[in-house]
Amino acid sequence: MKTKGLILVLLLVASQFSIAQNVDINGFARSYEGILYDNGDFGIIQQTLNLNFEKMGDKVAFKANPMLFLYNSDSLNFRMRELYLDLYFKNFDIRIGSQQVVWGKADGVFITDIVSPLNLTEFLLPDFDEIRKAVIATKIDYYLGNSTFEAIWIPTFTPTERPQPGSIWYVQPDFPAPPTWDLSKENITPSLENSEIFLKYTALTSDIDFEIMGAYTWDDNPTLHTEKQFALDTTTMQSKLVGLNITPQHHRLTIGGGSFSSEIKGVILRGEAAYYNGKYFLTEDPLELDGNVKKDYLHYLVGADFNIGSVKLSSQFIQQTILDYDENILNEKTENTMTFLARYDMLRETLHLELFSYIGLTNEDALIRPKVTYDFDDSFSILLGSNIFVGNSNGRFGQYKNNSMVYMKIKYSF
Amino acid sequence: MKTSKITTIILAIIFAGGFSVQLFAQKMTAREIIEKVYNRPEGDDQTSDLTMTLINKSGKERIRKIKQFTKEIGDMEKSIMFFLSPADVKNTSFMNWSYDDDNKNDDQWIYLPALKKTKRISSDSKSDFFMGSDFTYDDLGDRKLDDDTHKLLREETIDGVEYYVIESIPKDEDYMYTKTITWIRKDNFIGLKKEFFDEDEELLKILSIKKFEKISGFWVITNSEMKNIQKNHRTTMVLDNVQINTSISDSKFTERMMMRGM
Repeated sequence: MKTKGLILVLLLVASQFSIAQNVDINGFARSYEGILYDNGDFGIIQQTLNLNFEKMGDKVAFKANPMLFLYNSDSLNFRMRELYLDLYFKNFDIRIGSQQVVWGKADGVFITDIVSPLNLTEFLLPDFDEIRKAVIATKIDYYLGNSTFEAIWIPTFTPTERPQPGSIWYVQPDFPAPPTWDLSKENITPSLENSEIFLKYTALTSDIDFEIMGAYTWDDNPTLHTEKQFALDTTTMQSKLVGLNITPQHHRLTIGGGSFSSEIKGVILRGEAAYYNGKYFLTEDPLELDGNVKKDYLHYLVGADFNIGSVKLSSQFIQQTILDYDENILNEKTENTMTFLARYDMLRETLHLELFSYIGLTNEDALIRPKVTYDFDDSFSILLGSNIFVGNSNGRFGQYKNNSMVYMKIKYSF
Repeated sequence: MKTSKITTIILAIIFAGGFSVQLFAQKMTAREIIEKVYNRPEGDDQTSDLTMTLINKSGKERIRKIKQFTKEIGDMEKSIMFFLSPADVKNTSFMNWSYDDDNKNDDQWIYLPALKKTKRISSDSKSDFFMGSDFTYDDLGDRKLDDDTHKLLREETIDGVEYYVIESIPKDEDYMYTKTITWIRKDNFIGLKKEFFDEDEELLKILSIKKFEKISGFWVITNSEMKNIQKNHRTTMVLDNVQINTSISDSKFTERMMMRGM
């Protein structure tokens, strides 16, 4: 409680300081409630205050983006979404601090967009501008005409954040025997040796925009190394699996890829691909003693944005393929997904209709997200929407069938 | 959209200023008159603050503020706009490159600060309304001289000022307007009024120029209004702090600046 009080006091002091220093303050206050179709429970009750403190000069700038929130409780939480300093030079910029980095041309799909890990505590439901976590990094951008060379050094690894037991988004793993967890290798000590390096070249030209990237990073998701424990079944006189020692551990990944977008006769064509070298997958191969096998992996997307009348449409086809596949791997060799977006603005852009869907082609499941937003004025809007999970219960989306919901967001921007 | 033309509320209401055309007026065709309007000198670069006020039929106002820069670079014109308000679009930026080559479409990008992403967008949305205003992207853009067939309807004198009244009919039958009629001042080729007709050939919108000024030797329209007659709402556009030929750096029109802001 003292900590929360201190946070509020610090924010008040920061606000006063900001006003005195002509720091630009903007942000939003939002109330967000969702009711599950399945049982009428409130699956989401969130109150959020998001603040941006920004000051920009010719040579230096800074941004602080604190967020205060009450999520499904009356307990106040605080997160510094970003806090960084920008230094501007003639041909290059340096950004130091806690920052979110977005790469690639895909929408709602993360292929080369791997610098900032994801916060998946609410699956993929948060707005795409809220789903990433900041990383503590130094980023250097060198500019040459309409090209940019970007280098990012991250000394402190930040993993993907996953839902915890108790959350409606937590999926209980299905183990064949009771697990015992060894978390001794889960964390990565910040050090030069354990740093992550990301490089990117971007060109923005008349005919095409493209990015080429490479990364020496950590897999944001830990590999679950599993040691099986057997005991003799005295009845059958055969050995029997009685337990699992599971050791989550992050491993190094080397990734290369790129993306492009271009316009052809009014249609924006987009593509993005990444090659992951040395990713671990769970396997049932008895020769793989710790239950994992290391394979290369290809993840790519093609998409198009176009208009029919005043309706804006966008669709993407995404494929994930495990190379040198063997049948014991638990994942499918190839997983295909599509996304579809339709958006229509009316009443002088005060009423917005939108339908966004993920469609799992391999597992025959989907997440369908219709929503209607009405802007009462330039600062105040109300959104009514629904998240509908359908299809195969083993699929990425179908597994959340019971979490289909209707929701409302009331937002005040300032 | 061609944003430089926003600064002058292009819309063919522009004009080449300066010289007296009275001696030649009788000889000019409608096409030549419109050509004079379209080829109005604008300077090599321009900076301005744009305030757009959307007014609905009950008089309620919504205000959008934009800082914009435009520059002729070789065979193209580059422009960049930074949205200052309302709050939910603050720090959004928009960049447009348009080309002298009639066969080449504009290139357009938008930077969305919340998404931290620069997206190439289609320049094919010409009938969409710009930020919910009464101006479509095409109203604000560079219409090509020969996209329409022009006809001199008559000459009129209003409040002592002589005008050409020109009818322009699009050659593309699917274009959002079936015709436009423009009142162009004879003395300086400034169009002071333009009427837009819908697909039923009913009057849809009227653009009126409220104020024009000579800045650094160039005529600039600094206050205009587009009124939707059928829906009874309107949009005003006011330009302030107009600066011309200040040698804006080419580097202003890059992704770096879109992301950084002004």
